[in-house]
Amino acid sequence: MELFLIFTIVGSPLIAFLMIALLPHRLKRIAPLLSISFIFLSFLSSLLFFLKHPQIQETPFEVQWTWLQANRNLSFNVGFLMDRLNLLMLFVVSLVSFFVQVFSVAYMADEGRGQSRYFAFLSLFSFAMINLVASNNLLQTFIFWELVGLASYLLIGFWYQKPSATEASRKAFVVTRLGDLGFYLAVALLTLHLGNLNFSALNSPEAIQSLSGGMITLVTLLIFTGVMGKSAQFPLHIWLPDAMEGPTPVSALIHSATMVAAGVFLTARNYALFSASSISMETILIFGTLTAFVGATLATIQNDIKKILAYSTISQLGMMMMALGAGSFEAGMFHLTTHAFFKSLLFLASGALIHHFHTNDIWEMAQKGSRSQVLTLLVIAVGGLSLAGIFPFAGFWSKDLILEALEHKPVFHAAALLVSFFTSYYVFRLLFILYFRSETPHAHEEHHESSLLTFCMNFPLISLAVGSLIVGFMGTDLMHHKLLKFISPEAEGKLSIELMMTGTGIAVLGLAVAYWNYLKRKIQPPITATGFRRVLEKKYFMDDLFEKVFGRMVLAFSAFLNWFDKQMVNGKMVNGTAWSTLRLGALLTKVQSGELQDYLMIVFVIASAVIYFLVK
Amino acid sequence: MSESLIAYLLLSGTLAAIGVYGFLERRNLIGILISIELILNAASINFLAFNKFVSPDKGLGQAIVLLIIGLAAAEATLALSIILVLYRGMTSINIEEANHLKG
Repeated sequence: MELFLIFTIVGSPLIAFLMIALLPHRLKRIAPLLSISFIFLSFLSSLLFFLKHPQIQETPFEVQWTWLQANRNLSFNVGFLMDRLNLLMLFVVSLVSFFVQVFSVAYMADEGRGQSRYFAFLSLFSFAMINLVASNNLLQTFIFWELVGLASYLLIGFWYQKPSATEASRKAFVVTRLGDLGFYLAVALLTLHLGNLNFSALNSPEAIQSLSGGMITLVTLLIFTGVMGKSAQFPLHIWLPDAMEGPTPVSALIHSATMVAAGVFLTARNYALFSASSISMETILIFGTLTAFVGATLATIQNDIKKILAYSTISQLGMMMMALGAGSFEAGMFHLTTHAFFKSLLFLASGALIHHFHTNDIWEMAQKGSRSQVLTLLVIAVGGLSLAGIFPFAGFWSKDLILEALEHKPVFHAAALLVSFFTSYYVFRLLFILYFRSETPHAHEEHHESSLLTFCMNFPLISLAVGSLIVGFMGTDLMHHKLLKFISPEAEGKLSIELMMTGTGIAVLGLAVAYWNYLKRKIQPPITATGFRRVLEKKYFMDDLFEKVFGRMVLAFSAFLNWFDKQMVNGKMVNGTAWSTLRLGALLTKVQSGELQDYLMIVFVIASAVIYFLVK
Repeated sequence: MSESLIAYLLLSGTLAAIGVYGFLERRNLIGILISIELILNAASINFLAFNKFVSPDKGLGQAIVLLIIGLAAAEATLALSIILVLYRGMTSINIEEANHLKG
């Protein structure tokens, strides 16, 4: 029964993907229905699994089979592990996937033929993500890690006629690949040194003892490079803003709630291993802080609503990493959960705005009368206040927990507060521009969509808004820290009142600055770039750095390889072999004089030689 | 001297050497045929000499020599007919001109 449930959880999106891919053309229209029902089935099964195993917190459920038996000490397994950590992720992934897919029905309604391809890819992504989360060993995780990368690539480049979209998809793929190289090396190293890649074995005290300290640091840092790529950590964050070229629901699902959180999840999954190396933890903390700061500051100057949210995602992922690096993985996972809800909510709401106004630019939206979209603005407010960490929204609780975790590291604590300030600033900037700076809409411009599509658009927004509120409360005193206890039974989750006051004060400060800039001084674009702003507009020169330095390096190396291939491989080896064979042949034809007596001479000489040696 | 094996072997060896030389150096096909006959005769002398001095059975060597003579007659017939055909085709029996197999 357990096996059946697990297979339903991990397998149903795959079935949906295959069915959609194989549907005959006449039936392509039911693709969304298939995709949505199968992901819902997956969600229901994980719920059922949880209800059947309420004691899962103490005794994880694990099944595995041998995949390859290399020798007596080394075998590769496939298997699934169900414990509190990945059950939580399963809920988040399947639920957010479900809402996003429902939303996509409305968002992609005009897409026609492409719709079935879109839903097939979404199902493929859900399949890969759920399996990534449910895997019980590092190798299997790596395989699905690559598969989510593929799905992300396919979906970013969904509008493949747009050159910028294909460019962005390629960038995302290549940059994450750069990180995955490290992850792959870590898998290889662990295979060599332990021969067992199961998470339970990796994180057991024996395994940690059997590895030298330097090896643990090396392996965890290598895994962390993979995490940096996937979770868009500085300096590998550059692909995420470009990934916004994809359809907005895709950004909501993959590039805010699930795939980019996979890195955080992987770190939390191997937390015992990571904790064994203080250098790795420090590195994670430092890179998390850098990421959070870079993301938050860059988000303050963007005019594209999706770019704002993308940079905000980068910054929030950095916050999660900070929590992990500071030694509180329950804070990181809690923030991951609340963030998954309120950020996918924000993305979907921005998708609704984009769908209505046909522009990504917040100033243009305001010009066209964004004030009229009351429901959408309301849910943006819920998500935004949550993001800014305003009481009592979800982000308030999880962000304060992170601040709490950082309390003993004053530098990082201050950095986190600074990040909260910027976060609150860009959130209120967005809200003020969309609501208070909006022109009064023209009344006649109402175009009615069918009620089903309106429902498909509004239902996920409302559900996610409510969901993000509930999830936030589940980590608080009011609900006896249900969610926190679920993540880690030892979690305390006590928030000191001073900390709450500081957090709120910082958020209000951000609000005040945004109010001053956008409602009092009425800043309007275009804004001349001076000083620090110029650095921000250049995105801290990171894109330039990658393009100029690494890009050039790669190009130079490729040019060398091109030369090597043309001159050496093709010229000297392939053509050289042919040339020397020809020359040798020409040489040997000289022997074929056509004169019988020459042949006979050879025969006699050889025969005499043979006889001489035989007789001697 | 005339009764020793060495004398016979020297004779047959000289004959065979002359045959091989002519075989390789003559350009006339008839000459080559004659050289082959010389080699065959050298072999025959060899057989008879060993038969006389070594073998207990005096009849065997002579039988083989008779066989060789028969073989030589057949071979001469065959070779001459080939030479005739070649001559018809090329109006020459110079072997240097029959080099169509040249690579």
